[in-house]
Amino acid sequence: MCETCGCGLPEEAKNHAHEHDHDPGRTHREEAVLYRNLLAANEAQARENRAHLMEHGILAVNLMSSPGTGKTSLIEAVTASLSDQLRVGVIEGDLATDRDAERIRALGLPVWQITTGSTCHLDAAMVHEALHHLPLESIDLLFVENVGNLVCPGLYDLGCHLNGVLLSVTEGDDKVAKYPVIFKYAQFFCITKSDLLPYVSFDAAKPQREARILKGDLKTFSLSAKSREGMGSFLNYLLAERAALTA
Amino acid sequence: MHEWSLACELVRQAETEARRRNALRVHAVKASVGVLTGVVPELLQRAYEMARQGTCLEEAPLEIEVEAIRARCPRCGREVTLHSPALVCPDCSALGLEVLGGDGIFLASLELEVAETAGGNHV
Ligand SMILES: Nc1nc2c(ncn2[C@@H]2O[C@H](COP(=O)(O)OP(=O)(O)O)[C@@H](O)[C@H]2O)c(=O)[nH]1
Ligand SMILES: [Mg+2]
Ligand SMILES: [Zn+2]
Ligand SMILES: [Zn+2]
Ligand SMILES: [Zn+2]
Ligand SMILES: [Zn+2]
Repeated sequence: MCETCGCGLPEEAKNHAHEHDHDPGRTHREEAVLYRNLLAANEAQARENRAHLMEHGILAVNLMSSPGTGKTSLIEAVTASLSDQLRVGVIEGDLATDRDAERIRALGLPVWQITTGSTCHLDAAMVHEALHHLPLESIDLLFVENVGNLVCPGLYDLGCHLNGVLLSVTEGDDKVAKYPVIFKYAQFFCITKSDLLPYVSFDAAKPQREARILKGDLKTFSLSAKSREGMGSFLNYLLAERAALTA
Repeated sequence: MHEWSLACELVRQAETEARRRNALRVHAVKASVGVLTGVVPELLQRAYEMARQGTCLEEAPLEIEVEAIRARCPRCGREVTLHSPALVCPDCSALGLEVLGGDGIFLASLELEVAETAGGNHV
């Protein structure tokens, strides 16, 4: 603290403007008002990723959900239907099971596994690094399977063009209200495992309504990767978005 | 926990700024957390205490101010303040509010010990 002027006092420190002679060697307190965005570095990297993907004409789709909602199954189902129209690639970030990348590789798709260690979300730098390991010139549609977690991925823009939240009918229809932050960057919302609707008490209208409260322009889908019901409109959505990207 | 990544970024930016200003010591760090980030202040506090180890922030306590959501209602046009992340107008119940603030996380300020400039006045 500055003994001469007592400027360590918080009130004075806030408006530290005074004139007096100071001895060299003396020190005093001052408050530096900064308001630096802690997500700025991630947001800058995300913008770079988006531009880079755009140059390659790649539509990137970030999938976010709890573990076991059906992210990997949805990627498999989309690939099975679109493989003659779009070349699919995958960045795997979910470590809930380490078999995901192998499931994708078994389909003959280019895949890069991010080893997130103990972190709870992917960030734009991890996606940038992963892009170096993929044959971008032979990918049209890139899925990024995020870490199975309904909270943390919502804060981190990855630079994908589409960000989707998935919720399975077995998870309960109250999840949207409980996890609103995950919808921050979302453009679409999928209710998955709709083939199980007859066996569970799940009011599909409720989470869809609540999701639109959070995000007025959210596209919503209800589908099953298993029975393929509802897949058609989701596939059309992806095709239209990809066409718009390269138009 | 994403609080860990955020605490690391907070420490990184605070250290950079303290060094840039030739601070002799960092007395305190203040962060601002928007309600719409879903960041839990207690978890950020705990993560900070681990992340600052071995840095110039070891003696600097963290103060966290929680910033409410500010949003504009598309129907009644009012600017509203929300303390939970459900974006519903408290006056007319309209949906799809436009978020104006409270969705970010910031290094708000640093309290630094700095040397007086030799014999001169300062501002
Ligand atoms: N009945 C049914 N089960 C599904 C569906 N999609 C995924 N599953 C099952 O749910 C489990 C988790 O799926 P997975 O795709 O690995 O979820 P992820 O952790 O989100 O990638 C697996 O046992 C899948 O077989 C579906 O549409 N219907
Ligand atoms: Mg998976
Ligand atoms: Zn002074
Ligand atoms: Zn690069
Ligand atoms: Zn987290
Ligand atoms: Zn209103």
